[in-house]
Amino acid sequence: MNVLIVEDEVKMAEEMAAFLTREHFLCEIATIGVEASEKIAVNLYDFVLLDLGLPDYNGLDLLKEGKMLDTPPAFIIITARGAVEEKVKGLNIGADDYLAKPFSLVELNARIQAVARRKFKIESSDIQIGEFLVKTDNRIVKHKEKTVELTRKEFDLLLYLLLNKEKTLTRVQLYEHIWGNLFDDQYDSNFIDVHIKNLRKKLSPHAPVDWIKTTRGVGYKISEEE
Amino acid sequence: MIKLRYKLSLFNILSKLIFGVLFLILMPMILERVNTIQTDNQLIEKREQVIDIISQWGVERFTDSGYENAFGSYNILKEEYISLEKVELEHNWNFIEVTRRMIDNQIIDYRVLNYSFYVDGQMYLLEIGKSLASIQQTEKNIQKFTLVFLAVFLVFSTIFDIVFATKLIHPLEKIIKKLKNTPTPSLYGKATPNTTTSEFVYLDKTLEELMQKIEDLFQKERQITSNISHELLTPVSIARGILENLLSSGELNEEAAIKTEESLRTLYRLKTMVNSLLLIARVESHQYLRNESFSMVELINEVKSELDIIAEDKDIALDTDLKEEKWVKNANRSLLFNMFYNIVNNAIKFTPQKGKIFLTSGTINTQFFISIRDTGIGMSPEILENLFMRFKNRSAHPENGTGIGLAISKTIADFHSIEIHVESEPGKGTEFIFKFPS
Repeated sequence: MNVLIVEDEVKMAEEMAAFLTREHFLCEIATIGVEASEKIAVNLYDFVLLDLGLPDYNGLDLLKEGKMLDTPPAFIIITARGAVEEKVKGLNIGADDYLAKPFSLVELNARIQAVARRKFKIESSDIQIGEFLVKTDNRIVKHKEKTVELTRKEFDLLLYLLLNKEKTLTRVQLYEHIWGNLFDDQYDSNFIDVHIKNLRKKLSPHAPVDWIKTTRGVGYKISEEE
Repeated sequence: MIKLRYKLSLFNILSKLIFGVLFLILMPMILERVNTIQTDNQLIEKREQVIDIISQWGVERFTDSGYENAFGSYNILKEEYISLEKVELEHNWNFIEVTRRMIDNQIIDYRVLNYSFYVDGQMYLLEIGKSLASIQQTEKNIQKFTLVFLAVFLVFSTIFDIVFATKLIHPLEKIIKKLKNTPTPSLYGKATPNTTTSEFVYLDKTLEELMQKIEDLFQKERQITSNISHELLTPVSIARGILENLLSSGELNEEAAIKTEESLRTLYRLKTMVNSLLLIARVESHQYLRNESFSMVELINEVKSELDIIAEDKDIALDTDLKEEKWVKNANRSLLFNMFYNIVNNAIKFTPQKGKIFLTSGTINTQFFISIRDTGIGMSPEILENLFMRFKNRSAHPENGTGIGLAISKTIADFHSIEIHVESEPGKGTEFIFKFPS
């Protein structure tokens, strides 16, 4: 997929591009509004990651321009201003999602995937992990024919780790993804440990869960490699 | 405190009462005077009639028909009498006096006109009397009538006064209602109350201007927080991107990975700090709307279900007794949710294993409250004193968050006019009571 990163902080844009390139996206960068406007008009992008705080351009105008195209790209708005009104305005104009700086690159990737599934109507497939089948549509986990009862948070945790399979996610990254609606101050590394513990406890009576791995001092990952 | 319209009416009633009492005191004197003049006039008129008759028919008509040398007549109830007799006086009499007369063995006070005159060289004395009892009777009748009239007047004018005052004050009550229903200054209603009283229009206009001024200040603060937010969070964002890329490249050895994660956590703390301060500034400058209505019991239950697992892990019982329900209006649900979440989460943090936490709702003096009580480690009076100050409690429990959570909670409570009371005893536990405005 083609992604245009509109971001006036060059270093930030480069880090985003580096991460997304590793996730097999084709990335282009525009650091000023005029350049972005031109690129959006000329090239076909699937995604535009739009920082609203551009020095020469009102970011919301870029969004309006993009939305007028025959095949408009999906827009994910990024801002460090964090004003509630800005977010509402952006979503009203037609942005597909919104991320506040400083966001996690893992989270950015997850948001892009989610928008892509919604926008391009990609049917989410079921994921096989160990002896379990994770049905992403109706959000249930099955072992053979038996459903394993998980709470919403436990399922979210499992799914997020699965989507980032073979990658260690830090507790902060996991916490932000699942408890992102709470104020930052509530962060408690213990929350993740408790939920992982419960997840293991609920799955392990059915089959081994050695694929949920603890990366010492860093976080957790799902890996089927030995 | 007395309502203005009652005050106005009360003042009116009082002034009327004073006037009425004064009138009641003075009335008998006035009436007596008026009556005396009137009676005297009547007596004089009767005298003229008698004189007329005598000059026309002669005095014999009277003297012949009665006893010797005298004539007397009175009406059946002895209210009036008339007498004529021959007398020998040194001077002519012509005066009115009050005297006592004996008629048919009955003593009656009369107001009597005495008038002497000559007919054919003979002096006659004419007496015309009117009983005082009959005069006083008239007086009493008039007094009674006036009293009834006065009472009826007082009642009707009071009702009229109250109705009028209510109507007069109505725009003021409308303005107060408008103020009360204004969640943020920018939403103060532009509709001027329908009134012809210039003061009320002026009051409304002044309030509107004041709201505009506050709104302008808020607008400025919004701009400032937005800029601070941008300036502080952009570098954090870049550093985070760099470190996350480093970590997920998979090229780091174990020690480097651990150090990178530590740096990320430190950055997260910085972000938390900035966002928390910005949140307080945003709540204080009314960047959050207060336009939701919802059930408080439902919200507390939601907080409980969010934290049940954490409490369970520490073997802490999270008990609820939420019999008292409250439908909150003009509130921000997500802010209140975070406030209670923060307090309950704190209670879990500071309660040892196998402890208890109680979430209760109830009413004290018609005020709805939510109480969060734990059997935790409690707080010393010194900590309690500075509990809601930003950064003050940092040193007390450095491992548990930034210590700004309570400051945020206080800001959210203030934003909703909720009072927070904290009672705590070291070693016994802590209770947070949130009193809602009634």
